[in-house]
Amino acid sequence: MKRIVLGAVAALTMATGAMAEGYPTKEIQGIIQWGAGGSTDTVMRSVTPHAEAVLGGTVVMQNMTGGVGAIALNYVADAEADGYTVLMGAENPLLYKVMGLGEKDYSDFIPVSILARGTAILVANVDAPFDDYAGMIAYINENPGELKLGATGPGGLPSVITAMMNTVEGELDVIAVPFDGDGPALTALQGGAIDVMPAVLGAAIEGIKAGNMKPLAVFDLEANQHLPEVPTIVSFNEGYADFLPWGPFFGVFVKQGTPDDVVASLQAAYHEGAQHEDFVALMDGRGFTLMNISGDEAQSFLTAWQQNTAWLLQDAGLTQASPEDFGIARPAE
Amino acid sequence: MENFLNFFTVLTDPYLFLMVGVGTFAGVYIGAIPGLSVTMAVSILISFTFSWEVHPAIALMIGIYMGGVYGGSRTAILLNIPGAPSAIATAMDGYPMALKGKAGEAIGVTTVMSFLGGFIGIFVLAVAAPFISDFALKFQPRDYMFLAVLGILLVGSLSTGSLIKGIFAGALGLAIGSVGMDPLTFTPRLTFDLTFMKSGISFIAVMIGMFGVSEALLQLHQVGLPSIRQKIDRIIPSFGTVKKHLGLSMQTSTIGVIIGALPGTGGDIAALMAYDHAKRVTKNPEVPFGEGAIEGLVAPETANNAAVGGAFIPMMTLGIPGDAVTAIMIGALFIHGLNPGPMLMIEKPDMFWFIVGALVVANFFMLLFGLTGIKFFTKVVEMPRSVLIPLILLLSIVGSYAVNNSISDVYWMLGFGVFGYFMRHYGYPLGPVILGVILSRLLDDNWRRAIISEKEDLGRFFVGVFSSPLSTILLAAVILIFVSQTPLWAKMKSRLSSAKNRSHS
Repeated sequence: MKRIVLGAVAALTMATGAMAEGYPTKEIQGIIQWGAGGSTDTVMRSVTPHAEAVLGGTVVMQNMTGGVGAIALNYVADAEADGYTVLMGAENPLLYKVMGLGEKDYSDFIPVSILARGTAILVANVDAPFDDYAGMIAYINENPGELKLGATGPGGLPSVITAMMNTVEGELDVIAVPFDGDGPALTALQGGAIDVMPAVLGAAIEGIKAGNMKPLAVFDLEANQHLPEVPTIVSFNEGYADFLPWGPFFGVFVKQGTPDDVVASLQAAYHEGAQHEDFVALMDGRGFTLMNISGDEAQSFLTAWQQNTAWLLQDAGLTQASPEDFGIARPAE
Repeated sequence: MENFLNFFTVLTDPYLFLMVGVGTFAGVYIGAIPGLSVTMAVSILISFTFSWEVHPAIALMIGIYMGGVYGGSRTAILLNIPGAPSAIATAMDGYPMALKGKAGEAIGVTTVMSFLGGFIGIFVLAVAAPFISDFALKFQPRDYMFLAVLGILLVGSLSTGSLIKGIFAGALGLAIGSVGMDPLTFTPRLTFDLTFMKSGISFIAVMIGMFGVSEALLQLHQVGLPSIRQKIDRIIPSFGTVKKHLGLSMQTSTIGVIIGALPGTGGDIAALMAYDHAKRVTKNPEVPFGEGAIEGLVAPETANNAAVGGAFIPMMTLGIPGDAVTAIMIGALFIHGLNPGPMLMIEKPDMFWFIVGALVVANFFMLLFGLTGIKFFTKVVEMPRSVLIPLILLLSIVGSYAVNNSISDVYWMLGFGVFGYFMRHYGYPLGPVILGVILSRLLDDNWRRAIISEKEDLGRFFVGVFSSPLSTILLAAVILIFVSQTPLWAKMKSRLSSAKNRSHS
């Protein structure tokens, strides 16, 4: 109801303030790709109030879920390129094309800010007969086809991590058990329905601290400050260095064609908002690495991420269509 | 002990007390309107309460949650349109009571029983949370699958009249639930290559259409008839009535707490299972089930409110949501700088007791707002049908649009409304359709998870089942209920006895 009223108010202001200059002159609609309470939602709802303060406007955020986020992306792509409809998303759209989930991705958008990046971690059930990554690999080799590895469907974080492991270690003979998301999968891990799960560090950190799950390795080049005792994956196998750092990320985007000055004010607002101490503390507490990049830097980050991940999945045979078909070049060796 | 004192935080702080009250009041009305759900209200509140302190924000959400779960029963009783999925079973006996002019009595019983169930849920949360959450974690994919099968067997209870038609309706529901991108493999199913089919059919749209629009269309037949006068002199049920159903309500509350505590199942399934349970254990109801049996109100309403306390159990002890609402609350706690997880109870036990306290206060407010304002609500059903029918249609449209802000949901809703009308017309029950849609994912996903985990080998699957006492018990329950509910049992019985007779002669 509130949204309908706000929409009506927005329509009114639009009608009366058509000749207004400057930005913003009305409410900005922030479309969040994922559901309320999830990681993307938390990140966006905590940074946006600080950005609003800088911008001097209001951003009305709304969750629009479905189609792995494609419904929200298409909604913003169909709106006017005037900076009044902003997409608040995660990494998933960069894989839509190769996964056959949609024809659009972030190349149809201008990055306002890539806010933060997550780190992947491999966790195991507390009763698993191994305590680190090397032990797990040894167990898989001795007991082929017995280890139950959690998954969340093609394109999700576990599928990318599994593809990395298969590329570096050679094909691993495990059973991949699919779940709806890392939350349900980590629940199942604690109940013993699966043995190992690749998850984002923020989702697993509380369980690890409480001793409800065992960390096997952090998928990063350096140890994580929240879990300094957990070894990095490169300490077990140097081969992973080619693919790291890798992780899911969160970003704010506007449609291609949005006027430059509008993009600039949004970028400035989110850049300053992301430096607010509350936001920095929240990101840190959830184990995310703050990035806060925009412009060319953000663009090259997106390009590299897409090249690496799409080709990794292509080589693992998980894609619906080759990255080549969409002009996504293989990363330089 | 010091931490336990936080139990009284809500009682001693007038501002927090007021927040719980406002929340509960809003919740009752949000719950009563089909399509406006608690989940939606709580997610809107996340952005609304962003800059608040954590305590008032949580207090408001808890009020809405408690009130909303109860509020769904209002429209179920008065209009035969469940305001929320957890009130589907309530309509089955509540509406017949309203048709007899006993809406006031039905609402009274519902309110008192919801209060009772709510309390049992909170009590279990307060005293046995770690124990229950350990138990809930033990549920493997195969156990969820057996639970879903148990749920499917409720078709028998929800079908009034022909069982075959009930089974058809249930199967249709299962099929509707499987439309869209398969969540496990992202393969399109039953989408006919149409883009708008990819995201599946919204369960709420199906529910609103089937119950709301079809009811409005059906009432068009009687548009000229005067509406039923409601007696509202006896609202609060007598102590004797409460005492008589105390035993049943304890059992159904237990069902509610456990189903609520399981991550992945919530108040909707709990209420349906409790209804079925009541039907099975009540030998001689004063009024037959489906025609206004009190037991048919007691069971689902105690269970769905007990499930509220249940849903907080895994949330508070493990940071795992027990249902969609607690999932959003976990997000809210994060935003407010807390870290929900297994450490929350150890690092911030005050938060646990604060939530328990807020739930208790919300439960009392629910009783208060439930027992007052009945006069106003019953006026709704006494309205002329020519006013009521357009109102129902309007609410149905607004409600189904609001779920996802999507116009295609409105079309689905209207389509299922017309379809539901014809189904009713030809004597097909609608309850099993909704049951099928609710259970579709639970059954499908967990069966696949279970069999994939066992290398797609049925032998290994059954070895797994029989090596776990929990799975064995669930399987036994499935077989027992299946056999006792189908004509097979009666046939076997008669064949056995006739065989005996023959051998005698």
